[in-house]
Amino acid sequence: MKIPLLRTITLVITICCGAMPGRGDVATDTETAAHRSVLDLAGAFTNDGFKMRDGAYTSTLKAGESAVVEVNLYSGNQYWFAVSTADAKSAVSIGVYNEAGNMVKSEPFASRAADGAKDGAMDTDAASTNRAAAGFAPEASGPYYIKITNTTGVPATCCLIYSYK
Amino acid sequence: MIVSRGILIAVLTLAGMQAWAADAPAPQLSAASLAQAAKQDDFTIPTPGELLAALNKVGKPNWQAQYRAPIPTAYTSRPQIALNLGGLIADGYIAVEAEDSQQVKNIGNDIMALAKTLGIKENVLRRGKSIEDFAENNEWSTLKEELEATQNEVKLAMNEQHDEELTTLVTLGGWIRGTEAVSGWIATNYSEQAARLLRQPAIIDLLRSKLAALPQKTQDDPLVKGLDPRLKLLQGMVSFPAGQTPTQADVKKLHDAATDLISSVTSKR
Repeated sequence: MKIPLLRTITLVITICCGAMPGRGDVATDTETAAHRSVLDLAGAFTNDGFKMRDGAYTSTLKAGESAVVEVNLYSGNQYWFAVSTADAKSAVSIGVYNEAGNMVKSEPFASRAADGAKDGAMDTDAASTNRAAAGFAPEASGPYYIKITNTTGVPATCCLIYSYK
Repeated sequence: MIVSRGILIAVLTLAGMQAWAADAPAPQLSAASLAQAAKQDDFTIPTPGELLAALNKVGKPNWQAQYRAPIPTAYTSRPQIALNLGGLIADGYIAVEAEDSQQVKNIGNDIMALAKTLGIKENVLRRGKSIEDFAENNEWSTLKEELEATQNEVKLAMNEQHDEELTTLVTLGGWIRGTEAVSGWIATNYSEQAARLLRQPAIIDLLRSKLAALPQKTQDDPLVKGLDPRLKLLQGMVSFPAGQTPTQADVKKLHDAATDLISSVTSKR
């Protein structure tokens, strides 16, 4: 448990120093904030034995706008896709689709409130907060698509990452 | 009155649908959305570790049997160095699965040696030390993340020294070596479930398109020039329909083709 925590801290320090891991360009402040927030969310999966991918997809979405990202998954593995915006007041949703474009059943993640919640209490409004995650175990190997949508009325910078085990 | 109630129901239904549409992701993506989906090397293409993890679910592979003889670390062609760096990183994942700390350290040293020939040292050397420390302490789970971080560090360093085109070759080298190792195990320990893991049509499609977009100078490299026909052959073998299962003979053919490609990548010119 100690080492994954150290790794997460290292990642956070890395992005705080202005570089998004796995990217050649320098991250903006909002990208850094979104990345930090999503790493915080995905830390829960790391503690459950999931390996976090080093790469991250970042995009600034207009109000109501979506982005679709292709991933390639292997049957037998379990995956968590996590997204967060930089602004805690904004909201984002996430969905997983197969190669025919049909939405597949995924497990929503109710995030624990980072601040103010009692220890162990679940944030029941997680689906409408600025962080969302979808758990998925594919039955067939191949390409899948992750759709993230800014569900608020203002632009938001989103950062998407995934973990597997 | 009946008409009014009908209108009211219709209005409420439409309002409900709009509210649903605003909050829930749409149940279907259009063909245009799929075609325009973002594809990012360090996100869209899985690490060799993901493929090995999936194979662990369907069998108990003897990962040491998938080791290969040490490869040369004194190439002069930069594309060849990049391809072999990717292959070595895949070897690192195999050694981690085998929980073989000495092999992890040996491969870490080879990665550093190859990285030096490209002139990328500082950050990668730090990673090399981390790999050694984690291997020393048997931190296998952390090592998987460290190997991907090392690969990304190598790519970042390549970008900084304006060798962006080489990053595609690092990814490609890793994918070929991972596919060779996994297909090798499945060919000798065949099961339908394991064989279906080898379906990877979009990965090779993306890698071939990135290869085709390389600068002409890189494409003129004799090794790079010979890659695409072989990749086209491999593409046919990993692009079977989702409901279909390759036979043991199909898997053997895939393994032979991947081995042939790896052999051409490692041969000194």
